[in-house]
Amino acid sequence: MALRVLIVDDALFMRNMLRDICVRAGFEVVAEGDNGEAALELFREHRPDLVTMDIVMPKRSGIEALQDIMVEDPQARVVMVSALGQDSLVLEAVEAGARDFIVKPFKEEKVVDIIRRVAACA
Amino acid sequence: MDMSRYRELFLSETREHLNQMGRLLVVLEQEPSGRETIDALFREAHSVKGMAASMGYERTAALAHHLEDMLDGFRRGGGVPVGTIDHLLSGLDLLEGLLEDLQADQPERDIAAFLAASADPVAPVVIAPENANEGNLELIDVIASEDAEPGEKTPATPALTAVALQPPPASSVFQVTVVLTEEATAPAARGLLILRELERAGEVVNATPTKETLRQGGGCPRVQAWLRTVVPKPRLEEALRAITDVDKVIFVDDRRTDSSRRGGEAGRSVRVRTDLLDQVVNLTGELLTHRFMLQRAATQRDWNELDTALGQTTRLIGELHHQALQARLVPLENVAGRLPRLVRDLARKTGKQVEFRMTGGGVSLDRLILEELSDPLVHLIRNAVDHGIEVGKPGEVTVAARREKDLVLIEISDNGRGMDPQELRHQAVARRILAPEQAGELSDREALMLVCVPGFSTAREVTDTSGRGVGMDVVKSAVEKLGGTLDIQSAVGAGTCFQLRLPLSMAIIRILLISSGGHALAIPLTRVQRTLELPVEDVTTTGFRRFFSLGEEEVELVALDSLLGLAGNPAADGLCVVLLELPGRRVGLQVDSFLGQRDAFVKNLGFPLDRLPGMSGATVEGDGRVLFIIDPHPLLEGQTAAILFRGKETFDALS
Repeated sequence: MALRVLIVDDALFMRNMLRDICVRAGFEVVAEGDNGEAALELFREHRPDLVTMDIVMPKRSGIEALQDIMVEDPQARVVMVSALGQDSLVLEAVEAGARDFIVKPFKEEKVVDIIRRVAACA
Repeated sequence: MDMSRYRELFLSETREHLNQMGRLLVVLEQEPSGRETIDALFREAHSVKGMAASMGYERTAALAHHLEDMLDGFRRGGGVPVGTIDHLLSGLDLLEGLLEDLQADQPERDIAAFLAASADPVAPVVIAPENANEGNLELIDVIASEDAEPGEKTPATPALTAVALQPPPASSVFQVTVVLTEEATAPAARGLLILRELERAGEVVNATPTKETLRQGGGCPRVQAWLRTVVPKPRLEEALRAITDVDKVIFVDDRRTDSSRRGGEAGRSVRVRTDLLDQVVNLTGELLTHRFMLQRAATQRDWNELDTALGQTTRLIGELHHQALQARLVPLENVAGRLPRLVRDLARKTGKQVEFRMTGGGVSLDRLILEELSDPLVHLIRNAVDHGIEVGKPGEVTVAARREKDLVLIEISDNGRGMDPQELRHQAVARRILAPEQAGELSDREALMLVCVPGFSTAREVTDTSGRGVGMDVVKSAVEKLGGTLDIQSAVGAGTCFQLRLPLSMAIIRILLISSGGHALAIPLTRVQRTLELPVEDVTTTGFRRFFSLGEEEVELVALDSLLGLAGNPAADGLCVVLLELPGRRVGLQVDSFLGQRDAFVKNLGFPLDRLPGMSGATVEGDGRVLFIIDPHPLLEGQTAAILFRGKETFDALS
């Protein structure tokens, strides 16, 4: 059973890149969302093992979407994807329950490493 | 990606579970409706499933799940049908195989054939169809609820929460420092994640930086905290290292001496009782206090106070050392766990009736020694069943362990046909290992030791008549490498007993300091029976050999300096002699003088020094000089029994 991942990012480029990384690592990308509002719906629909969540997005931000998901499932594993220099947002996300974070620009093996670590944690 | 830390823990814990399963299955075979045994087996399989699943080892998890499933069926059916044990055992073998694959970093082997086999010939006979269905459904329910229920703890998952299933041990307080890697991004957020993990483990008493500092964005490359927790340190370390960008995890009293001792040992974990950790932490605290006492005494030039403080510090260091060694001790059971299964399989293969008994499984040895002991033990037991036990008679193989002073004595005995020293002498002559007169000179005990001569028992016909198999030389050298001795007792028709005497711990030993040929050297005290001073006139000379009387016994006297090729020191009126006990005889080792005895931390010698016979290690003196530790046994074997261990060439030269 491959790890089931939901990717949420408003940039198609980022989604493609993350998807390719996931697929190469043997994870299954169950769905992709391009805004914070879609994130919760997709989470409800697919119940993924892990969510990668961009922070700055239209409609609802990544942090708001994270909060929605944590209400829905306090055990949800959400990994934030942020740009350099967004430390305070990352901090906020961690306080809100994010399991880990990836800072752009990232290396492929770092992303895979983080996803595996988070997936392995209870 | 650093899953290797998890992996080691997974491998070692799973191996323990599999050992346990092997033991339980042998019990179950004798008592097929043992409800408790089936329950225990079910729990073991369940643990392995949970651990393997968390690691993402799909086939291992699937197989463990399958076995769990079968066991659940048997539990409902009230027992295990005849013939199923073999199937369960082969499933266990397959699990062991999978573990080997994972250990070797290879893809997991195929399990489809096994799953198909259990669906086919065994399972339908075993479980009534409706029961089987019910069992399966229930099981799925169990798993589903496990997934859904927050905080449900799977035993021994490599996460902190796993410990909660065991009876709550006393909590301990220690300081932990988590250092981030250089490339770590958003250190404040990372620091919060680390604190969160620490809070999951226990009560964070005092953290730097604090949460508030971190919230204000004040990140720093390390987080330091005092933690009150029941979680053992190795497990806490695993969990912390599992966090992204964590470079190092340091515990306050963590010197890591044992992992640096041997390259291959790095990263292995030992489970330590928490009360032991508490004591270590307490002792460290006391030492700190005494350090201040010493400091004050030194600045005030108060020599009485200095003397007192020094004495107490010595005592504390002694205690601390003792406790630290305790942490490395592991019960013999850990390696002996698979022996019942081994005996059972061997008995079956050879068509013999063998019962296995074990006493003293709780006797503890240094983990390193235990690991090295595993193969020799298997070897001795294999030999006992293969060659000792006779067909058609009720056989018995016993492993008995007990403490004997500073040593652990392990006896592996059988009630088989035994060995005939006379027959061994004949074989040694027939195989041109000894000349007839040499063979005649051997005592019975020495003759029995012939089975340890390399190449002595490789021939099949020798094996059958002597009753011992291949590779006893390997067993002997493994035991000696650990600083132990091997002794054999046997009589025709009365079985054979192999006695292994092993030190409790290898890292620190008590040594006798002597001087020989002008060099200071050390001999492990475990090798020394006693020391004595001998008047020169008490020594008698026969040819090139010297002897002295000790009670009724004539003991050979050998000079250590000539053994080592050092310049001899002309003896004064009294000779300093170290009395050594070798298998079957005693030897007096003549040295220049005795320099005292003390504890020494032994360091292994590197290549090429480790190839020198009789050099077992080195230790560093207070002034920085290196002191070599001599193991006299190989040296003396080389001197008096060279023929035994050098074999044919010597024989040819002599004859």
